[in-house]
Amino acid sequence: MADATLLKPQERRALLRQRWLSRLLSPLWLPAFTAAMYAVMRWRIVGARALRREYARLRAGSDAPLLICANHLTMLDSFVISWALGGAGYYLRDFGGLAWNTPERRNFADSFWKRVLAYMLKCIPVTRGANRGEVALVLNKVAFLMSRGETAMIFPEGRRSRSGRVDRTNVAYGVGRLVSSLPGCRVLLVYARGEGQQDWSDTPARGERFHVTLRCIEPKSDARGLRGSLDVSRQIVTQIAEMEEAWFDDRQ
Amino acid sequence: METSEIQGRVLKILTPYVKDNSALENAGAETNILEDMKVNSARLVDVVLAFEDEFDIEIADEDVDSVNTVGDCVTLISEKLS
Repeated sequence: MADATLLKPQERRALLRQRWLSRLLSPLWLPAFTAAMYAVMRWRIVGARALRREYARLRAGSDAPLLICANHLTMLDSFVISWALGGAGYYLRDFGGLAWNTPERRNFADSFWKRVLAYMLKCIPVTRGANRGEVALVLNKVAFLMSRGETAMIFPEGRRSRSGRVDRTNVAYGVGRLVSSLPGCRVLLVYARGEGQQDWSDTPARGERFHVTLRCIEPKSDARGLRGSLDVSRQIVTQIAEMEEAWFDDRQ
Repeated sequence: METSEIQGRVLKILTPYVKDNSALENAGAETNILEDMKVNSARLVDVVLAFEDEFDIEIADEDVDSVNTVGDCVTLISEKLS
C-alpha cells in the first residue's frame, strides 16, 4: 500500500514548501493560465457552471480523501480538467481543491523553466517505467498530500490513449494501491473530450469545446494485496470506459 | 526449492512479457526486468501475480517495490516459500 508514514521528514517538508510557494504565487499564475486557456486558446467548457458546482459540493461535503481519475488524450488534460472543475477564483479560496499531478518527468526535464513551472503547478514528476521504488515514493507523497486534504489527479491508463479510446487493458495498478491505502477514499471519475478530438495528441485544438462528465465512486475490493489494488484500478478504468461509451452514445 | 529452479520458473513466467529476447537468452540474477528485458512497467504486476499463482505464495504491494532484477524475484520468492 502507499504509505505516507514512510516519507522522510525532509520529503514531507519539501512537499509542504512546494505547496506553500505554489499557493503564494497562485494569484499570479492561476489567472494567467485561466486567461491563456480562455482568450489565447479559446477553449470552452460546456456546462462549466454545473461541473464546478458539483466539484465544490464534493469538496465541501466530506473530509474523506478525493482522487480525480480521468481519461487521457492530450498532454494538457490536467489543465482542462482543473479548469472545468473550478475557476481561478475558486482555487484561490480552496487551494487544496487544485489537484496535484504526477506528469512524466521526461516531458519537462529538458528545460529549467519547464521544471520550475511544473513545481509551481503542484506537480510531482514520475519517470514512466522507473523502478518500482521510485513509483512507490511518488505514491507515498501523493498519499501524504491527500491525507492533508489536498486533491490529486491521476490518469489510470498511465499514458495517453493511443487509440483515442479508453484502453481497458492498460491499467496502472498504482492508482488502486493509492486508493486502497486511504480509508474512505472517494474517486471522482472524469471523462473529458473535445468535440474535435479524434485520437490522442499533444495539445487540444484552438477553439476546442470540451464536454466533461463526472461520476463519484468509492471503489473497494475483497481481494488483498496486489490483486486488490489491481481490482480497484480495473474498476476505475472500466467505469471511465463506460462514461466514454455514454459520451459517444449521446452524440450519435 | 533450489534457487536455480526458482530462477528457471521465473524466466519462464517472464518470457511472454519480454521485448528484448537477447536479454532473456543471457539472463542472470543481475538482469534488470524493466531496463534490460524491456518489460512494460504496467505488466510487472501481472508478472508478480503469475509468481503468486506459480509458487502458491502471497506477495504484498510493498514487496513489488523491491523487484528490479531477476535475482530480486528469486530472493523474494525464496523468502515467501521459506
